[in-house]
Amino acid sequence: MSTGMLLGYELPEAGLPDPTAFLLAAARKAEAARVHHLVLGDRPAAGPAGPGTPASLVAVSLLAVSTSRIGLVMTAAPAYHEPYNLARMVASVDHISHGRAGWRVITGPDAAADANHRREGVDPVTDREARAREFVPVVQNLWDTWEDGAFVHEKGTGRFIDSGRVHVLDHRGTLRVRGPLNVVRPPQGHPVVLADASDPLVSAHADVLAVGNPDSALTAAQAGGRPRLGVVTPFVAATEERARELHALAGAPVSDPARAVLTGTPGQLAERLGAWFDRGAVDGFTVRFPPPGPDGTANAERIDEFTDTVLPLLTAAGRFPATYAADTLRGHFGLTRPANRLAERLAAGPERD
Amino acid sequence: MPTERQLHLGLMFWATGTHAAGWRHPDARADAAYDIDLIQEVTAEAERAKFDFVFLGDRLASDPSLQYSNPAQISRLEPFATATAMAAATTRIGVVVTANPTYSDPYSIARLLASLDHVSAGRAAWNLVTGADTAAAFNFGREEHWDTAKRYAWAQECLQVVRDLWDSGADAGSGPRPLGHRGTYFSVDGPLDVARPPQGQVVLFNAGTSDQSRELSAREADIVFAGMQPTFALRQAYYADIKERADRYDRADQVTILPGLTPIVAPTTEEAVELYDLLNSLLVLDPEEEPGELVRKGGIGEGHRRNLSSASRVFGVELRGNDLAAEVPAETLAAVSEEGALRLAEITRLTRRTVDGPRRITYGDLVHAAPSELSHTVVGNPEEVADMIQEWFEGGAADGFNIYPAYVPGSVTAFTELVVPVLQRRGLYRKDYTGSTLREHLGLPVPPRRPSPTSAVRSTD
Repeated sequence: MSTGMLLGYELPEAGLPDPTAFLLAAARKAEAARVHHLVLGDRPAAGPAGPGTPASLVAVSLLAVSTSRIGLVMTAAPAYHEPYNLARMVASVDHISHGRAGWRVITGPDAAADANHRREGVDPVTDREARAREFVPVVQNLWDTWEDGAFVHEKGTGRFIDSGRVHVLDHRGTLRVRGPLNVVRPPQGHPVVLADASDPLVSAHADVLAVGNPDSALTAAQAGGRPRLGVVTPFVAATEERARELHALAGAPVSDPARAVLTGTPGQLAERLGAWFDRGAVDGFTVRFPPPGPDGTANAERIDEFTDTVLPLLTAAGRFPATYAADTLRGHFGLTRPANRLAERLAAGPERD
Repeated sequence: MPTERQLHLGLMFWATGTHAAGWRHPDARADAAYDIDLIQEVTAEAERAKFDFVFLGDRLASDPSLQYSNPAQISRLEPFATATAMAAATTRIGVVVTANPTYSDPYSIARLLASLDHVSAGRAAWNLVTGADTAAAFNFGREEHWDTAKRYAWAQECLQVVRDLWDSGADAGSGPRPLGHRGTYFSVDGPLDVARPPQGQVVLFNAGTSDQSRELSAREADIVFAGMQPTFALRQAYYADIKERADRYDRADQVTILPGLTPIVAPTTEEAVELYDLLNSLLVLDPEEEPGELVRKGGIGEGHRRNLSSASRVFGVELRGNDLAAEVPAETLAAVSEEGALRLAEITRLTRRTVDGPRRITYGDLVHAAPSELSHTVVGNPEEVADMIQEWFEGGAADGFNIYPAYVPGSVTAFTELVVPVLQRRGLYRKDYTGSTLREHLGLPVPPRRPSPTSAVRSTD
């Protein structure tokens, strides 16, 4: 486990006048402040807030080649993806970011998104839970269909790959996938999988858990030692009065089990976050910035404000590290690189289940 | 703006080269498939040469057995991630992504392409393929591969929904609007969550020689990859056929036809032939004793085995047991089959070696004589390569070419530095871009947003 407070920014998905410019500016701002990761939403349905940001695969790919240290987490729901395709997408982002890719898996029902994805033989409503239960381990196993070092490209002999270290998966359940994947094993082995701790379909397979409101988060023991990220939405300003105004302008959202809404001065917010961290309620936070108001640029200002005023206080208090201690997203989370479990299973002999 | 008709050039990006042994060339970057910096550099190089686009193929399966026949088909980065990185490193060149609707749905495709068009500021294109590759089916929950009729009917409806979804996205001054598509294969409410793409409709590529494919190209495609045709007359016939079909849809002047071209170019003819020979010498031969004539090449079908046994069958003469570097006796060459004789002419065209001249055809030449399924290979100095391009361009066989680099990055550099200036000097090719979007490079306006989606009431047949 990393020693300091873990910190990620969850960027808004819609309502931005120039989403590409916003993403680039927000990523550079966050990276300069040593924020550990960004989470890019991906809801494949139009919402009331106006045009959405680019699909999160495209967004994280853009940021992967525009930044060098910050982790990049794309979002994808098993309901709208084939595991083979999703596995290669996340693996590819891990390659082009040199080990900074993560995947937030979401499984909840979404009627509007479902209605965009019906095709012959496929209804996202059908088998939603069964697919979701199988999906994460299948994707992780696809990452393991190539052993490390199987891509040898030996000019002298003409041997391009070591075909003995490339494996068929042949998964047969609700999902059916043969493999091998058409991307070699990602730099992290397994890119980081993030899930809601409260999601019974996928949380068992996640590397990192989103635990919602830090006041009601599960314990480190309940999380099995995995990093726990509380979710907070900040309304921060130089004065309490101005912070309350901002909160009111955003429709005065309230805390719930899924997140804590924080309103106050930088000092007050740093104190709240620090208190949760110090008593071990969570290992860090995902800062879910409020959606943009009528003028979308306000969102960039919110990110700037939080970054410029709250983070220095956390750093000064010795809670949030002022430097990156690792080069990969797994490293940022204090996670080790996993062994290849498919190769291990094959080495162990006949299939066991 | 030049008024003369101008060539269009694209770069077919296979990171390990389109020659099966290209990655073994001393200057090749063997690990290029996963080196995003190099991929970005090659894209920037093509942009400096004012290419219309860089093109990413795709294959939804991996087959380790292809390592000696077609290593580029074993693995690669996912195209949307790669194209986004390419776009981030450039400002003018188009980025073309292959996406296969057979294993996807129109909302996902429309959304990814619209996203790429936004982050590239209007430089995205979609190469629509339906996937002739049976191996992909097993990776996508299917027990069998769909036949051509089903794949095309599915693709047609998918394309229509994708186009309607692009038009459903919010545009300058007007909001999103619902779609409510209910078709044979798809049910899509819409609207698209991403704004309408900067190009309005993302540029569409299609390839193929089947009747269904030609018809789809003529009706819908902005760029058509011409299939490989063995003779110049057949190339002209293919070109004319696509244009005639497109004319029925009143869009003959909107379809750009680009054959694939593998240029093996060097400052002198001798050096170019040397390079061609070097690349072929790096090919790993198939074992002589293995049964069967054909070997899978993955996604592009099958080819003859690469050895003297197979060459003996193709040429109809006994070739086994000889040194590949040795010259073949004239009497042996005189006895070859009809197909063999055509191949001898091709060998002479590429190597300048002949049946009875001072430089004779070798056994190795016969092994490597299998024509490419993908592209036309030309070996020569810059003027010779430019001559061939000009002949096809002016002779009604091509509007330009999709350049297949034998190895990376050397073949890209050789073409852009040696051949492009010749084409520019001859007035055949742009010296600079006149626009910043792919549509502008192709001379295509942004289509107006159609007044309302039509697919809700359209029958798919």
